Amino acid sequence: MELYSGICGSYPRPPELRKAIDRYEKGDITKEELNSVYLKSLKIVIEIQERAGLNIISSGLLMWDDLLRPFAKELEGIKLNGLLRFFDNNFYYRVPVIVDKIRRKKPITLNEAQNLAKHTTRLKKLVLPGPFTFIQLSKNEYYSSVKSLADDILNILVDEIKDLVEFIDFLQIDEPSLVDSEIPIDNRREGINLVNDLISRTGIPKDKIIVATYFRLDEQSYQILLNVKAGLHIDIISTPREAFNALKEYGFKGDLISLGLVDSRNIKVENVEEMANKAYDILDRIHAKAVIFSTNTWLDYIPFENARSKVEVLGKLLHIMRGEG
Amino acid sequence: MKYVIPDKLPTTVVGSYPRFPEAKRALKLRRDKYSNKKIIEELIQSAIRRVVEDYLEAGIDIISDGEQRREDMAVFFAENIEGFKISGWVRIFDNVYYRKPIIAGRIKWTHEITVKDWKFASTLSRGRPVKATLTGPYTMYDWSYDEYYGDKKEAILDLASALRMEVEHLIATGAKYIQIDEPALSTHAEKEDVEIEKEALDIIFRGINAKRIVHICYGKLERLFPDILDFPVDQFDLEMKNSNFRLLSILKEYSYDKELGLGVIDVHNTRVESVDEITKDIMKGLEVVPPEKLYVKPDCGLKRLPRDVALAKLKNMVIAAKKVREEL
Repeated sequence: MELYSGICGSYPRPPELRKAIDRYEKGDITKEELNSVYLKSLKIVIEIQERAGLNIISSGLLMWDDLLRPFAKELEGIKLNGLLRFFDNNFYYRVPVIVDKIRRKKPITLNEAQNLAKHTTRLKKLVLPGPFTFIQLSKNEYYSSVKSLADDILNILVDEIKDLVEFIDFLQIDEPSLVDSEIPIDNRREGINLVNDLISRTGIPKDKIIVATYFRLDEQSYQILLNVKAGLHIDIISTPREAFNALKEYGFKGDLISLGLVDSRNIKVENVEEMANKAYDILDRIHAKAVIFSTNTWLDYIPFENARSKVEVLGKLLHIMRGEG
Repeated sequence: MKYVIPDKLPTTVVGSYPRFPEAKRALKLRRDKYSNKKIIEELIQSAIRRVVEDYLEAGIDIISDGEQRREDMAVFFAENIEGFKISGWVRIFDNVYYRKPIIAGRIKWTHEITVKDWKFASTLSRGRPVKATLTGPYTMYDWSYDEYYGDKKEAILDLASALRMEVEHLIATGAKYIQIDEPALSTHAEKEDVEIEKEALDIIFRGINAKRIVHICYGKLERLFPDILDFPVDQFDLEMKNSNFRLLSILKEYSYDKELGLGVIDVHNTRVESVDEITKDIMKGLEVVPPEKLYVKPDCGLKRLPRDVALAKLKNMVIAAKKVREEL
C-alpha cells in the first residue's frame, strides 16, 4: 500500500497576503506588487508543507475567495451575487448567478499550477470545483435545463484540466454537495454520473484524481460515492460515528482513498499516536492501493498561526504509518 | 418622553448598523491598546448617537444601539465573558476575517456587557424602546473553538447562564425587548441541537418581564420547523426576503401563532427595495399572522451595507409599513 500525506485544499492566507489584498483592493498597490506578495506567500506555504514531511504538496488556493470564485470571476456569463453560508460553516461564499452562456476566455488555474510546479519537486496537487457542486451552489437564470448547463460546465472543466495537467500529479475535484443530505439522493446519484463523465473525459488515470467530499459522511452518501470512478477523499471527523459506520459497512476497494483524519475546523492539535491508532483501525477495513492521510477539509477555518501544527500532525502520522517513527 | 408604538405592524431592526467612522476609530484605538479610555468612549457614544439619529430619521419604532462597540458579534461577547480567549484571524468571506473565540475555561459572567450602550441609546431615542441584542449561546459555541468543555450542551448551558445575568441587568435598567441572536442555529438543526437551544433559552428567559425574541437567519431554516415552535419566546425574528419568503408556507402549515419579525429588506444586496415591493412583501406576512403580531424589519443586521443604502432601505420600509397600516 502506497502511503501519502497532504492537505485537503486550501491553506490560510498568510497575514502579509491578507494585507496586500486589502491594499490592492483599495488601489494602494499594483497588481504586480500583489503578485509578488502572493508568490512569497506561496513559497512560505509550500515550505511549511515540505518541512512537515508531506509528500503531496498543495498550492493552498491562496487567492481563492471561495470554492467557486476563480471560475465565477473569470468565466463569461456569470455575475456574482450576495453571500450565502457555505454548508454548516461560519463562512460565506458569493453565489454565482448564471446570466448568459458560460464561456472560458482563458485558463483560470494554470498560473497557480505552474507556480506550484516551479517551487516544489515533490508530488503536486491542485483543486478544482466539481460540476455537481458548481451547479448546486449557483443560481441558473439562463439555461433552460440543468443538463445544458451541466454540459457547458463539463466542457469548461475539461478544457481547464487539459491545460494544467502536465504541471500536477494529483487533481482534486471538490464535490461537497455529493454528501449534502438536504439534496435528494437521486439528484446526487446524477451528480456522481456527472463527475464520472468529467473524470473519463480528462484522461487522467483514476489513481491520480480525487473526488473530495467534506463536512459530513453518512452511510447512504458513502454508498453512492463508491460509484465514483476515481479516488475519494472523505471527511471522517465531522460526523465521526456515521463515517466509521459507513467504512465498517462498505469498506473500500479501489486505487486511492484520501482520509480526512485531521480536523481543520478546530485549532486543537491532535495527538499523533491516537491519530495513528485511528488510521490503523481504518486501514484494517479498506483495500486501497494508495492512501492519503489528510485534513478533513480546507484549512481555511483556522488561523494561519494554527495551521502549521495541523500540517505537522499529518507529517508525523505519515512517518509513523510508514513504520519510520 | 412617551412614544406610542403602533399596535399594528410596528417597525424594528435586527441590531447592527453600518459602523460609523467614529466607531471604526474607537475599535482601532482599542486594538492598539490606546490608554485614554475616555476618548474611546466618546467616539463610541458619538457613533451610537448617529445611529439613533438615522433610525429616528427613518421612523423606526423599536430601535437598537447599532452595535457600534462590537468588533463582531462573537468576539465582542467573548472578550467580555470569563472563560474565553481570542484566536488569530479566521476568514468569514472574501478577504474579510474575524478573530475566532476560544473557550479555554469555565464560562462565567463577570460584568455588564451591553447595558451601557443600551442605556445611552435609550437617552437619545425620544421615548422609542431600544431592543437589547445578545449573541446567543448556541452561536457563541458554534463560532468558537472549544478547548475546555468538550461537551456542547454543558458549554451552551453555561453560556446561557452567563447571558441570563446580562439579561437581568438589562431588565433592571429598563429594557423591554430582549433579542437573542442565533444565526448558527440554522446550520445544524439536528433535533439534539434544537433541544439544547430550547433549554438554553429557558435559562435566559425564564420568568422575565420583557418581550422575548430569538433571531435566526440564513441557511436552511425550514428544517428547524416544527421543532423550534415551542421555544419559550414571544417572537421569532426571521430572515425572509433573501430566501424569497419560502418559510412563510411552512409557518402557515404549522398554524404559527407567535409574533413574527418579518425580514423584508435583503441586507446582502445593495439594491434598495421599493415601497411597492415592501408593501407586497408585508402583505405576504399578513397571510400568516395578524397585523398585531407582525413586526416589519430587515432580514438581519445592516452592518455590511453602506450607510446611505441602509438608511434608504429603512426609510422605504417604514413608508411601506405605514401604507399597509392605513389600508388595513
